[in-house]
Amino acid sequence: MTEASPAELLEGPFTALADAVSTGRVTARAVAEESLARARKAQEAFGAFLSTNAEETLREADGVDRRVRTGERLPLAGVPLAVKDNINVAGRPSTAGSKILAGFVSPDHATCVARLVNAGAVVVGKTNCDEFGMGSSNENSAYGPVRNPWNPARVPGGSSGGSAAAVAARAVPLAIGTDTGGSVRQPASFCGLVGWKPTYGRVSRYGLIAFASSFDQAGALTRSVDEAARAFAVMAGADPKDSTALATPVPDVLAALLAGAGGRRIGLLAEASSAEGGLHADVKASFEEAAKTLRAAGAAVTMVSVPRVALAVPVYYLTATAEASSNLARFDGVRYGARKGDVSLAALYRETRSQGFGPEVKRRILLGTFALSAGYHDAYYGRAQKVRALLARDFTAAFRDVDAILCPTSPEPAFALGAKTDDPLAMYLADVFTVPASLAGIPAVSVPSGFSRDGLPIGMQFIGPGDSEPLLFALARVLEDASGALARRAPGAVS
Amino acid sequence: MRIDPALVSKVAVLAALELSDAERDAMAGQLTRIVEHFEALRELPESLLAGDSAALPTPLRADVARDGSPGALVEANAPAFAHGHFVVPRVVTRD
Repeated sequence: MTEASPAELLEGPFTALADAVSTGRVTARAVAEESLARARKAQEAFGAFLSTNAEETLREADGVDRRVRTGERLPLAGVPLAVKDNINVAGRPSTAGSKILAGFVSPDHATCVARLVNAGAVVVGKTNCDEFGMGSSNENSAYGPVRNPWNPARVPGGSSGGSAAAVAARAVPLAIGTDTGGSVRQPASFCGLVGWKPTYGRVSRYGLIAFASSFDQAGALTRSVDEAARAFAVMAGADPKDSTALATPVPDVLAALLAGAGGRRIGLLAEASSAEGGLHADVKASFEEAAKTLRAAGAAVTMVSVPRVALAVPVYYLTATAEASSNLARFDGVRYGARKGDVSLAALYRETRSQGFGPEVKRRILLGTFALSAGYHDAYYGRAQKVRALLARDFTAAFRDVDAILCPTSPEPAFALGAKTDDPLAMYLADVFTVPASLAGIPAVSVPSGFSRDGLPIGMQFIGPGDSEPLLFALARVLEDASGALARRAPGAVS
Repeated sequence: MRIDPALVSKVAVLAALELSDAERDAMAGQLTRIVEHFEALRELPESLLAGDSAALPTPLRADVARDGSPGALVEANAPAFAHGHFVVPRVVTRD
């Protein structure tokens, strides 16, 4: 039997890596050692990781090797996994990118982590992120920004920017993140990766540090659609620890992966095509090219309007911040994390929170508290909830005419570090194409569709009705095949 | 609408946040710009907004009692812990 090289395996799909571990051609320990070395380089070059624990990673890898030797079949045998730092991994720190959680050690695994580890994945480290998932550029981490492996002067997207950079840098083939308003899909788009958010409830939220509970979902970032679907198949499922987790059967995303686009009705999001869409010229060209590809693959491609998409950013930033103002009330210096001030309980709360939270988190807590406060509730939070319902009805109506909707994941490719940090509204408005699916609780998959003229990845997003993940992955596969993006390696990828 | 520094201060009290004068003034400008952009929601006719206000109804689970006693890691994560309880400063004060 030919021995397999860990370095070569980390350049290919994790299915080949898991197969090599399962058949004894390489040990999970050897793969973990190589991945840890790469993670150190990705940390130095891009700030992708917040913590690693080599001893624990190798111990887990040895555990996988033992399970393989006993004949256990593990779909992710020895696959190195990076976990966003707002998702709990037992015995490891979870800071969520915030000073307020400095020193916190997770008592148990998030359910999605437990499922991946049970399938044979080995946790290599926790990845950098915008504080509590609040940001679209990964410049809001208390521990420094993350840089994009395709161009280190550009942001990797956010808030799962560390997870995206870790996969794009080829430190790990699989990373998970949370997607509240696009925080998996947008960094996937900026870093040339596949990123998905499931139907709300399809993946348990247990063990995710809550930002906005009616939006938060875990998703994965991978280089290929095939790997994305395999991660979904492992992560999805009912969970008694999360009352919002769906108990219905998980759709089979692997059976239909090669179904293609033939006979499918695809709607191009009219609001993205209009002048108001504000698309970067290269993104617009890639959008048009994607439509051509789908037509050539036999899909019926038309325009479809989801009128309230134009209001999605205001609705999202009123409702999500309102939920955040409530969820983040738990960070008060009493039960975990940092504590400041000891004159009185009220002073302890104020000082802990004022010194522990960064500017963007404070801004969102204030906005959400304002939207919920007496005298303003009906005009802001209440109205936003009604428009949220209207947007969901818009999608239901659109899905009577089309099977899935296509739009760019982001109006522009990765922007420069610092380009939007002084303008929070401009940063929010860049989320225009990712927040609609979050508001409606429906699944969406971002897939690389091409590159800008200056070599930055561009992503397209398929949005479908609840439980349409099999269709979305199959459609993403069509664009993946046509774009050739899978064959390109980020210039900053480590080895 | 304009969010003035006094309103920011009022909201900050509700949110248990303490802002410096500079932070408060900067927030007032930023939040005004954000909220003014959000006024577009007010332009929708009421007739469109009839119906369910919640896009996603919250599911409920059975109310089952579970052991809530803190484990060792809960204690280890606490800033101050004694005799099975989280320790906090005196609660009844003039603050």
